[in-house]
Amino acid sequence: MPDVLPEIETAATYEKPWRLIVWNDPVNLMSYVAYVFRSYFGFTAEKAEQLMLQVHHDGFCTVRSGSREAIESDVQAMHGFGLNATMTQEA
Amino acid sequence: MAKAFKYGAHGITGTLHSAERKLLRELFGDVITMLEERALVHQLPDDIDPLYALTGMRPESMDLPPVTDPALSKLLPDASADPVMAAEHRRLTEADLIAQKIGRLREAQFLMETDKIVLENQNAQRFAQALNDVRLVLAERLEIRDEQDAERVSEVLDAAEVETPEEYLALVYNLVSWVQDTLMSALMDAEY
Repeated sequence: MPDVLPEIETAATYEKPWRLIVWNDPVNLMSYVAYVFRSYFGFTAEKAEQLMLQVHHDGFCTVRSGSREAIESDVQAMHGFGLNATMTQEA
Repeated sequence: MAKAFKYGAHGITGTLHSAERKLLRELFGDVITMLEERALVHQLPDDIDPLYALTGMRPESMDLPPVTDPALSKLLPDASADPVMAAEHRRLTEADLIAQKIGRLREAQFLMETDKIVLENQNAQRFAQALNDVRLVLAERLEIRDEQDAERVSEVLDAAEVETPEEYLALVYNLVSWVQDTLMSALMDAEY
């Protein structure tokens, strides 16, 4: 018998990641959305701009994915900034 | 007329004249009132375990009523397309979100006391958030639902030509948008 511990499987191993989705609206300024992406998520100027344009053109964009807790807190932060954001679990 | 926000040796500065400041102060106040009215539905019954009041938590069995005013729902949107999840998120976080927003709107009201506004980055961001909340509410009153609506509203720029209350509201919306947009450029210059 090999002298190693078996890998412990936890419930978290099986939980599918959650996604943060930001939706387009005709109100929020492009300069503001780009600033929020850059300032809150720490994205580069290019990445923030690209995501902002994706929201603008496609109507929504998955900004990032992660644990339920992390995405819940992102959604709340986005609502604090006045952006329309929702969370969804990957299928 | 207001002077654009810019970043310089003294931080982020901009100028708003007395009529503009009075108007903005009222708008911040209107949004505070809307949020305070919503906060009333958060009150828990007197006979509940006092631990809930102490911790600010709501019992699982006491979901908040849905937000029916469309302008308020722009300030406090659903966190999920799934109504059960949205209700749970609202129960756990809405009180905090309301308190944060009211705090920023009150700070913004205080900023309206002087012509010249001088901001550090953190305060500039909070001011931008308050202006954004005002714009969300005005946009709902102006029925801005898509880019064409936004375009229509953005064409109202000349105060001398304003004839209807809706055109006046559009003019106000455009002023707030302009202030916020110049603030964002200044903040970008200041931070990056």
